[in-house]
Amino acid sequence: MSEYSGNEAVIMKNVCKDFKVLNRHEGLKGSIKDLFSRDYKTVSAVRDVTLTVNRGEIIGYLGPNGAGKSTTIKMMTGVLEPTSGELLVNGKVPYKNRTENCENIGVVFGQRSQLWWSLPLIESFKLLRDLYMVPEKDYEGMIELYRSLVDIEPILHKPVREMSLGQRTLSDILAAFLHNPAIVFLDEPTIGLDVSMKAKIRELILGLNKEKNTTVILTTHDMGDVDALCRRIVIIDKGTKIYDNDIEHLKNYFGSYRTLKLKRSDDTWEEYLIDEKTTDVMDVIMEKQKSMKIKDVKIDEISTEEVIKKIYEGSAK
Amino acid sequence: MNPKRLLAITRAGIMESLHFRLGIFVTLFANLIYLVLVYYLWKAIYDSSGTAVVNGMTFTDTMIYLILATALFNFLEMFVVWDMSRSIQSGKIVLDLLKPMRFRKYTFWSYTGNHIVQFVLTFIPTFVVVMIVTKGAIPVGLNLVWFLIATVLALMINYNLEMIVSPICFYTESTWGINIVKETIVLLLSGATIPLAFFPEKARMVVQYLPFRAVYDIPLSILLEKNGSDTWQGLVSLFALQLAWLAVLTLAGNLFWNCAVKKVTVNGG
Amino acid sequence: MHKRGLAFYARIYRKILIQDLKSKMSYRADFIISTFGMIMTNLSGFITFMILFHNFPTINGWDYYHMLFLYGFSLVALTPVQCFFDNNWNLRFMVQSGDFIKYCFRPVNVFFYFISEVFDVKGLGQLAFGIGTIVYAWIKIGIPVTVIIIAKLLVFLLTASLFMIALMNFAAATCFWIKGSGYVMVIMFRFKDFAKYPSSIFEGIFKIIFTFIIPIAFIAYYPSLVILEPSNVPLLSWISPLYGILFVYLSYRFWMLGVRKYDFTGS
Repeated sequence: MSEYSGNEAVIMKNVCKDFKVLNRHEGLKGSIKDLFSRDYKTVSAVRDVTLTVNRGEIIGYLGPNGAGKSTTIKMMTGVLEPTSGELLVNGKVPYKNRTENCENIGVVFGQRSQLWWSLPLIESFKLLRDLYMVPEKDYEGMIELYRSLVDIEPILHKPVREMSLGQRTLSDILAAFLHNPAIVFLDEPTIGLDVSMKAKIRELILGLNKEKNTTVILTTHDMGDVDALCRRIVIIDKGTKIYDNDIEHLKNYFGSYRTLKLKRSDDTWEEYLIDEKTTDVMDVIMEKQKSMKIKDVKIDEISTEEVIKKIYEGSAK
Repeated sequence: MNPKRLLAITRAGIMESLHFRLGIFVTLFANLIYLVLVYYLWKAIYDSSGTAVVNGMTFTDTMIYLILATALFNFLEMFVVWDMSRSIQSGKIVLDLLKPMRFRKYTFWSYTGNHIVQFVLTFIPTFVVVMIVTKGAIPVGLNLVWFLIATVLALMINYNLEMIVSPICFYTESTWGINIVKETIVLLLSGATIPLAFFPEKARMVVQYLPFRAVYDIPLSILLEKNGSDTWQGLVSLFALQLAWLAVLTLAGNLFWNCAVKKVTVNGG
Repeated sequence: MHKRGLAFYARIYRKILIQDLKSKMSYRADFIISTFGMIMTNLSGFITFMILFHNFPTINGWDYYHMLFLYGFSLVALTPVQCFFDNNWNLRFMVQSGDFIKYCFRPVNVFFYFISEVFDVKGLGQLAFGIGTIVYAWIKIGIPVTVIIIAKLLVFLLTASLFMIALMNFAAATCFWIKGSGYVMVIMFRFKDFAKYPSSIFEGIFKIIFTFIIPIAFIAYYPSLVILEPSNVPLLSWISPLYGILFVYLSYRFWMLGVRKYDFTGS
């Protein structure tokens, strides 16, 4: 058994998750053949992942589509059982103690609202308070905290079905924190939102993390979220963990890379990623100048977005 | 409309239905049990009546009629109303309406694929079983061809009925309510629950001219060579009734649908 | 870890119910349409019944009023499944789209949480219809009105309703294993139409199947015999409450097993 010292929110040790799927054949003939086929194959969604998340951390759990992120989250929330390995959330095996585990976690899953569709938000809050048996004093305190962090008045008495996407996401996040869980899982919380709403939601998550020392596990494709919220990131690809460290470290890793931005005559920017170890920036500018008129030049450090892209590409090889 | 594209959609529909393989077997099994229920019920009914022929129908006639009606019902079953209401509630309807092909056409052809699968997997086996059990009580001849034509017409009429009902989803979320009203009316008045021959004289006069009969009763009458379908005149008049209703319902369906779509565009989804 | 007992669940259910009813009031069109639908199905059932008796005076030795009693009995027995368990109809869509997962994130029983979400008022219309039919047949048959008989009626109505609840749970839960199993629910719901006939019509192996495996015989026939034939009640009628509880329990376990085994790929 893994050592649980009380300070770890999540402990994963060699966790694997396999699914059995039918080998499908192509075409109409294939479809008819599949009707009677017993040709199953095993697909490993998560392979041998070892990971420890400490209390109060905000980690970015990243990976390309189909990398195994949601499967991991589903295991941590107790919905799926790992095929092998050890998994402890708040010191307990989530799948065996689903109800108990749920008391200590909050989940926001993409654009799927978990609130009662036709109820005003405040009524949903009250029902959640009862479901989680939150003491009245703590509940009031939480609502007060919400008031201090965001302007909740306009949405409090609005049914969820009538809300805009941004308001709905905001409501879902507030609902996920309402019972003051030890861990909150956020899956793509800012997807489809406009810039100001994104900023608002990031601020809210940071604020709640600071006030309540809540552990936040964030999966996203938006590197803006990662930059704003996470100090540590974990990258998973094809079910295998390929990176687990600070963002800073990651950037150092690609420290010799620069983003060269050239402004064309029509005021649009062109970007090039350059490895200074192999190529000289000035050479590139000179080369480009032969074919186009350059109005302005900018050299930036590599952005997180590009680092992640590099890593995905690297692991794909 | 490019026929190649229609074929592609139909083919995709066939493959999609085959995808649910266990579902198909379970459906077959459930149908079988249902048929057993129908059998015992009517056997008991005829046993208690003391006569072999009631309203011109023998026990065998009634059984064949009801079993094939059930098989037809399953084969014609569409979830257009459910799909539509899901799509409206999730906002997906806007995407559906934006598809390059007209939404209704697309739905029709992709369901056609499903119908073909259902016809082969449920109707034909049922038909064969009935033939064996009744030792060939169903006449085999030109009537099979007429039956197929009548069934295609029935399919189109049924589709138009769905299309007339489904725009109501734009106005209400009670899909269950809409669907059950539609299903109940169709099942009762088309003769799928109880053969129309058993209806009291006056009711039968009215029901005979309603569109619902064109869905189940007419194809089955033609198959069993009842209701005068064994004469040319009778056959022509049955087809005429189907065609007339098809025309009326297509028009009505178009009208309803266009009104509803206008409402969506006004609301912006 | 909080303990959540029966009292907790009762309180939560009541609260959700009140909220649900409040929000229903704002959809008057829905309410009217589903009530209309309910009236139509009942009317259609009734018309079928009348047409049948118009052609055949008795069925398997049962006369018009006894059959009417059975009919009313089956209608009342259906009310609980319609009022309280209607969300089962949505299960397969939720599972397919992946939305079902949201029910697994709360510290309460998944089945309870899912079922509690919908309370369907329309079932009440059917209840009224069923009660009316029972009362009418009761008077016509001339069953005495005593406290004991009324108490028996209530107990056995409740018993009958258990079987319908269990059947629909089983049918709905098939969607965890079988894609495209929507038809199972549709046909299971149509099986109930056969509950209003005396199950003495079945023979041989099917008598056993429709009594114990797909217990259509228990939805009205066996429980109602307690009232209709007090001098000659079969043993199966007396044990029906126990069997009903067992059946509901099994259907619940089956449903929960589905949740556990499902791999939640729809996303």
